[in-house]
Amino acid sequence: MPPKGQPAESSHARSFFTVPAPIKQLFDRFPLVTYPANDLPQRASPRHGNQLFVFTDAPGARRGRPSFNPQCLKWQAYLKFVGIDFEVVSSNNHASPTGALPFLLPGLPTEALLPIPSHKLQKWAIEQVHCEEEQQLNLRFEVYGSLLDHRIRNAWLQMLYLDHENFEAVARPSYVNPATTNSLVRAALGLQLQQAARDELLKTARCIDVADLEGDAGGAFEALSTLLGEDEHFFGRPNPGLFDASVFAYTHLVLDEEMGWKQNRLAQLLREHPNLVQHRDRLLKFF
Amino acid sequence: MVLQLHVWGPAFALPSIDAQCLATIAYCSLVLPKGSWELIPSSDLSVSPTGELPALQNGTVWVSRFRNIVDYLRQYSEGAWDLDRELDAPERADNLAFASFVESRGQPLIDLSLYVTSQNYYGNTSPAYGAFLQWPNQWILPPKLHSAAKARTEHLGVSSLDLQAMEEQRQREHSAAVAAGQIPKNFIQRPRDTVSSLLGRTAQQNQFRLEALTSEFFEPLEAMLGRKQYLLGADEDSQPRSLDSLLPVAAGCDALKAPRLVTYTERVRRQCFGEPAPSEAGHTFPALPWRSAERISVAAVGTTLLGTLADSTPFLREVRRNNRLKQVAESPDSGLSGTEKKAVSMYADASKRDMYVSIATVVAGAAALVGYMVHVGLLSVQTGAGVEEEEEDNGAVESFDSAFDPGSVGDFLGNTRGLV
Repeated sequence: MPPKGQPAESSHARSFFTVPAPIKQLFDRFPLVTYPANDLPQRASPRHGNQLFVFTDAPGARRGRPSFNPQCLKWQAYLKFVGIDFEVVSSNNHASPTGALPFLLPGLPTEALLPIPSHKLQKWAIEQVHCEEEQQLNLRFEVYGSLLDHRIRNAWLQMLYLDHENFEAVARPSYVNPATTNSLVRAALGLQLQQAARDELLKTARCIDVADLEGDAGGAFEALSTLLGEDEHFFGRPNPGLFDASVFAYTHLVLDEEMGWKQNRLAQLLREHPNLVQHRDRLLKFF
Repeated sequence: MVLQLHVWGPAFALPSIDAQCLATIAYCSLVLPKGSWELIPSSDLSVSPTGELPALQNGTVWVSRFRNIVDYLRQYSEGAWDLDRELDAPERADNLAFASFVESRGQPLIDLSLYVTSQNYYGNTSPAYGAFLQWPNQWILPPKLHSAAKARTEHLGVSSLDLQAMEEQRQREHSAAVAAGQIPKNFIQRPRDTVSSLLGRTAQQNQFRLEALTSEFFEPLEAMLGRKQYLLGADEDSQPRSLDSLLPVAAGCDALKAPRLVTYTERVRRQCFGEPAPSEAGHTFPALPWRSAERISVAAVGTTLLGTLADSTPFLREVRRNNRLKQVAESPDSGLSGTEKKAVSMYADASKRDMYVSIATVVAGAAALVGYMVHVGLLSVQTGAGVEEEEEDNGAVESFDSAFDPGSVGDFLGNTRGLV
């Protein structure tokens, strides 16, 4: 309220800049009610432990089933083998800070919520549980690892993405359909995936020779089988480790009946080496 | 029948510029009896039906790539020409794993040093190709190989070795700054990058990454070699190659980190390729059974030119790729079972169909556009009956733009600038 005895022009000026009385009264009462903050959605709620974001479906995530993506499964298996507790969260590439799955949100310490991308997961795991860094223990680790990253992976890419029946039966339901319900976007995504796989294979060869890729993968399985020999785990270790996880990631997915493969040449090649199949069966008990 | 091995031409004091070719030459010189094979530095991808070198020709049979050639030699000689026949199972596994290791880790290193590093590429690699390639391949192939090598090493994150990519990125950042700030171009400070400062900086930044890559590659090999004479006790087939070809370019890090590996490489090189004899045309290798490549014919030049043209035309490229895939699948020695063969052929057919659909769409679209243009009178066909009508059109359009004469497509296209 203006004090009495003010000059007339000042009250005139006020009428331009002051809020009209009724509106001011109304706003003086604000906020009328303050509601408590909404709860987080049910699926996001209690963050107790470590969360590993992988490609998987909702029921698989609830029960901690193996992921259907070899890269994700490798780290999922590794963390299980070294005894780190975590829960699996279904996710996709767009959620990841690096653009690739898997990544991990550590539960402790809660204030530093820095996600850990897959190439730093091993370091993190070593800090957590003080397991050994296996690359240092055996010089063959990197060498035999190249069989998996190169030969078996190429055959896998061919079998999953470029074999038409497999792509429709396996890759489309797991990678494309969960992303969207729009059929146009689905078609585009599917084509993108196939083209990416084709480009990857054409980087090292001028044409994609299916027989060649499968022959390479067969040789790689044979070499791995020889390396494993009669041992329980690779390199004669008492507990499974990163290399076992890498091998398991492919052998499990190739042998898994639930994947619904239509053409599965890799499984035929793999079954020629019973010790690799037993190795997979042993490790499957962790899940 | 004399086996003929087609390879890339010699460079850097080595019999060939390509690692796979070197490996194949080394393998052949170790395993094949003298006089049973010839080495042809054809340096032309069109000689081999798969479009790949090295390629081994035995009459009408063509085999390409190092591993396939090794397999073929073993089968062809019924096991006699096989360096690995005395290996036991663990050694065989090691052999395979190390071969895959060398292939997957060595190839990117060669790519980096020969192609991606701009100084090396423009200073050495490109002139080396120029020396043994014939026209027009010397203008077509090196850039192709250059971009393929770039694509292969993209994920390693050392692209700043590539001056061209650096410059592109700088320009991108520059224009982004212009767009974001709406600042007049003159006011944005241009970072003063001379070539030398650029090189200094990138060298430092990349040094660590490169160190890591090379040591990752060389350490297991060095450890495996140990004090033995060869990597696996017995002669080992695939190892000599990439090391050999790495030697001239990666000698720096090689020598620092892996002294035993260097001596090994030198020794195997002598054994496989013989002493290089300096001549006026660089080094020659008298120990190898050279045969000069046939003079490239006019037809071959034409095929190369047409092929390159077709490969860079959007639709033709797909047609050719599908045809290649189908050929591979249906060839009798592809080793595919019946169903697989069917699947691959079906895939090729399906993608061919896809492509025809897209061609049809484009053609239909173009036809619709032309139809529309005719309909609204932008285009008209010169026929006797249509003259009057056309003159009417002429009048109408001339009032709109006197420079426009709707006579023919060429005129229309030529005058669009005037209309706009």
